[in-house]
Formats: sequence, structure tokens, C-alpha cells
Amino acid sequence: MATMSARKPASVVYGVDEAPPIGVTLLSGLQHIGIISIALVYPLLIARAAHLSVEQTSDILAATMLVLGVGAVLQSLPRGPVGARYLCPPVCTAAYLDPALFAVKAGGLPLAFGMTAFGGLIETALSRLLRPLRPYLPTEISGLVVVLIAVSMCNLGFRNLLGIGASQPVDLAEHIVAALTLATMVGLSVWSKGTPRLFCALIGMILGYMMAAITGTLTWVDLETVETAQYFSVPNFAAYGWSWDAGFAIPFAVAALGTCIRGMGDITICQKINDDDWVRPNMRSVSGGLLANGLSNVLGGLLGGHGVSTYTSSVGLAAATGVTSRRVGYAIGGIFVLLAFLPKASALLLIMPRPVIGAALLFTAVIIFVNGLQIITSRLLDARRTFVIGLAFMAGIAVDFYPGFFGKLPAEMLAIFGSALVMGTLVALALNLIFRLGVRKTQELTIDPSRLDPVAIEAFMEARGAEWGARRDVIDRASFDLTQSVETIVESCEPRGSLEIEASFDEFNLDVRVSYSGPPLELPEKRPTNEEIMESEEGQRRLAGFMLRRYADRVAATHRGGRSTIQFHFDH
Amino acid sequence: MEVKEEQVGGVTVLQVKGRLDSTTSPMLGERLTAVLEAAKARVLVDFSQLEYISSAGFRILLQAAKRADQNTAKFVLCGVSGKVRQLFDLGGFLDLFSITSTREEGIAAAQ
Repeated sequence: MATMSARKPASVVYGVDEAPPIGVTLLSGLQHIGIISIALVYPLLIARAAHLSVEQTSDILAATMLVLGVGAVLQSLPRGPVGARYLCPPVCTAAYLDPALFAVKAGGLPLAFGMTAFGGLIETALSRLLRPLRPYLPTEISGLVVVLIAVSMCNLGFRNLLGIGASQPVDLAEHIVAALTLATMVGLSVWSKGTPRLFCALIGMILGYMMAAITGTLTWVDLETVETAQYFSVPNFAAYGWSWDAGFAIPFAVAALGTCIRGMGDITICQKINDDDWVRPNMRSVSGGLLANGLSNVLGGLLGGHGVSTYTSSVGLAAATGVTSRRVGYAIGGIFVLLAFLPKASALLLIMPRPVIGAALLFTAVIIFVNGLQIITSRLLDARRTFVIGLAFMAGIAVDFYPGFFGKLPAEMLAIFGSALVMGTLVALALNLIFRLGVRKTQELTIDPSRLDPVAIEAFMEARGAEWGARRDVIDRASFDLTQSVETIVESCEPRGSLEIEASFDEFNLDVRVSYSGPPLELPEKRPTNEEIMESEEGQRRLAGFMLRRYADRVAATHRGGRSTIQFHFDH
Repeated sequence: MEVKEEQVGGVTVLQVKGRLDSTTSPMLGERLTAVLEAAKARVLVDFSQLEYISSAGFRILLQAAKRADQNTAKFVLCGVSGKVRQLFDLGGFLDLFSITSTREEGIAAAQ
């Protein structure tokens, strides 16, 4: 079980295995649905690109809501191979949006749905191959993917706000509605507390709808659409069929990969916010979560819905409210499944005014953008990794900067080179492969005890960490253990000759070995008393050994043929 | 390591910058011994610019705290954060010393 040995943090009110009162469960579920619903604009954009009628658009929305519901339940399942086992509901993802829009253009909805199911299958396969693939999908690239998703959302947001590519130009009233909607969302998020803050996006959207109705942006024709919609009906799922085009395999595979990379980050955050003793990602939980998302996307493609991924904002909402119970996941699932059969609810989303869509996209893009930056900077970056991230990001945004150039490419190429996300991710993966050449996974350092320089030892670990793209906290721990051990050995073990340091790394382990000729260093399991520390240097040495043992995940000391070795292991 | 000394409201404030290890800790130890010599001395050690502390540094602090007890002096630490705080936690020192978050709180606690 992912959560059996977890220690619930004080900030969590209802932990993942706990059962909140029914009112708290439902209200929490509704809050998540509020922020997830913003991204329902993506299937709307697909429907608009395919020139669908109101009823046909409702079917696509209903299929997507059903998938969101099923996905939320799958992620929360407490046992079995499917699911992250956390409250980690899905959301419509921008990763699938660009490829789907290109697919609609080239082959209509059947191609978009067929390729979405294909993307789901790729995710399902990737979920089984996580361990061998991890060196090729380093954390900073997952941060880049999140940043590029934000860039895609920002691009779409501005297209809606400025009316770029639309048949009708944007008028002053729409600008006012957009500005008020965005200002409400941002203002409530920054300056309010409690419920208004939690519902800031939803309140902003409701205000945007009202302003749009007052200013005439939302017309009586739009409102009639809601009025005439049925209260209950069984949607026409899978009405368009499916088709396949090999030319779209790469863009949808990249969307699947981007979704998996993002899922790894989100599920890791879920684990972290539920466990004060969290040290490293539980790969079973990550793998189960990616499998659940892959299966959701296969279902989405088959039913005629939009692609989904895990949702950083939902994970953040759970952390902020302290309600991380998986029962909230079941509530979200139940409500979404219910909404799929209520066309009035779909119709309300269907008539979402252009400025409200733009403001909502910008609002969520900002949050996701900063999330991505935080993920990138959580790793130490050397020159190689700096160029991987920098060049890939610039290649990605070049697509948005120069649409005239990229827009002239044939449809099959456009699916790859027409999307900032696909382009940037592919460049990052390719550069990561190239720059891995020549990076030694084992590095040595020789220390002359008569010229001990702790700063140089720390610089050695810092440089290796940046070269390997290791986590800063792990390198800090290794750096302390290395410096403290060398200092203590030089002072108390009278080493003969130089000390040999060897540091080796793969994506899962960091091992540091210190060897020297001389007596072994004691690494006691019990802390010496304060009196022992104060009264003798022996006490101070034992304190050093005790701290060395505690800071590493594993430590071993051996002495053979007059030569002593201390091996520090850090899980990564 | 650099140690900057100043008097604020009757409290001797020692601002420690850099690394506190076996090489540098004797220097801080001497300063602490000197300022805690006087009965009822008021001493605040500001660690906000400390980058590293080893077992030798902790030993000096324990000795200073003991001396302060004997002389009915006040001995307070502040600015213990980030990596350095983790090391205090690791060695079981967080509860052993009087530690405040800010210099102002530290001065108030030492007065």
C-alpha cells in the first residue's frame, strides 16, 4: 500500500485513507469540479473547430465528463494495479489539444478520437516502462513540459481575448468582460480568504457570464440554448467512429509522453503532501496513476471525448484545504458522471463567452507556468542541462512566435512543428540524449590530508550534482556527509597518504565512497550525551559519526588490510 | 569564517558568517568564552549567514551554553534556518538551545 507507512502531516485535516463527513466530501468535490471545469473549454474548442451543432457539442462534453468521472475514481482506488491511490482527479489537458485540433483539420473528429485512444495506449505502455525510461525523462524536462503546456494555454487564451483567427473581431465590451473576469479571479486568489479564495476561478467565471449577459456579449440566442436543453438525456457516445493516420502518431505519442511526465510530477506531489516522512517517489503509485490516466484516455477516445491528464491545480487545492481523502475522488467521479447525463449543465458551458474562456485560460496558465518553473529549478543544472531546457523552450515558443513560417508546412508536419508543446518536448528529449554522451556516472577526487579544503569538497559535489541533474536536497546531504567525514578522518584517524573519494550516480541512487589507509571511523547508532560531547574529543567524534549515519539513507564502514572505507548511500 | 560583534540594547550580538568546522570553531569558542566570562552576560549568536556547522561547531555551542548556565548569563541563537537548521535537527540540538527566528526576537529574549 502506498500509504500504509505514511505519517500524516499536521496540515492535512482528512488524510487519504480517512472518511470526512458527507458534507465536507461533497463540498470538496464541488470545489475540485469548479477548477477542473475551466479546462472543459478544450473540448469546446475541438467542437468549434469541427463546426458541430449544439447537440453534437453536448455529446462531446458529456463523453469528456464521463471520462473525467471514471478517471477520478480510478486514480482513487485503494488497491489493485490501476490508480495512484490518491485524490488526484484528471482534467482536460492542453497536451492533447493542439494534436487534436490538427487532426480535426486533417481528418475530422474520427481521426482526433482514434488518435486520442492511441495516445491512451501509449500512456498505458509507458506506465509499465517507467523505471528503464526514467534517465531519459529527467525532472527538469518534466518541468519544461509543464511550462510549455502553460505557453500553449496562454497562446490560446490570447487568441480568444484578441479574437485572432475568429470571424468576428473583439469589441470593447468583450475586453471589459475579460478584464473583470481575470481581475476577479486574481484578486480573490491574492486578497481573499476561505471559501472565496477556494472558489476564485469559479466565482470569476460566474461574474464573467453575468457581465457578458449585461454587455450583450452573451446573447438571448445563447441563453435559449440553455433553456431549450433537456434536464436529462443519454448522450450519443461514439457517434463519429475512429480513424488512424500514421502521420499523427508522433504528435499524439508526444502528447501521451507529456501527460505521463506531468503525471509523474503530480502523483509525486500527492505522495509528498500525504506523508511527512516522504523521501522519494513510490513508483508503484506513479505507475498505477499513469496506467489509470492511459485507460481513461483510451475510454475517452472510444467514447468521443477529449484527452485528460492529472491536474497540478487540483493537487494544490487538496494540499491547501487539507482534505486529501480518496472519498473526495469518488465524489468528483460521481458528480461528473451525473453531469454527463444533464444536458443543461453542458449547455451552460457550451455558451461560455469568448472573453471568459480567454481569462480562465490565462488564469490557469499562470499557475501552471510557475509550477513548471519550480519543477525545473528543483534540480541542479549544469551547462548541458541549461542548454537542453533553454534551447527546447526557445524552439517551442518559436512555433508561436512565427506562425506564418510554421503554418505553411504540410498537415502531417504541422502536427509536430505546429505545436509549441510537441516541438519543445521533442527538442528536449533529443538534446538530452545527445548531451548524455560524455557524462561520467562515476567521478573521483583525491584529497591531501595536509591541505584539507572543505570548500573544494563541497564544490566537487555541487559540480557533480549539476552535471547529473541530481536533486539539490540529496546533494546537500551527500556534501555534508562527505565534508564531515573527511574532516573527522583527517583529525582523528591519522590517515596515511591521501583520501580517495568516489561518487557515483544513476537516477535512483547516489553513492559516495571515502577510502583511506588508517583505522576505521566509528559510526554509532546512539547519540553521545551532551557531557560526552563537551568533555572529550572522542565525544565530538562520536557525534560526527552519529550524524553521518543519520544523514545518509544507508551507511557502511569496512576495514581490510589496513585500509578503511565508508560507503554512504542516498536514495534519489 | 567571520565573526562580527556589536552591542544592541545591552546584548552582545555575534554575527557568524561562513563555515563553523574544526578549523574555525576554536575562534568562535574563544569569542564566546570572552563574552560569557562576565556574570549575567547577554549574548545572541546570529547564524543567519552561517553556511555549514560540523560536530566541532556543536561542541563549542554546548560548552558556551554550559558556561552561560554557570554564570547565570543569557545565551540565545537566532537565524538558524535551511541546511543549518537540518543539521541542528539531525544532531538533536534544536531543543537544547534557546533559538529564535529573527534577530529582533533574539535580542528581546536575551535581554
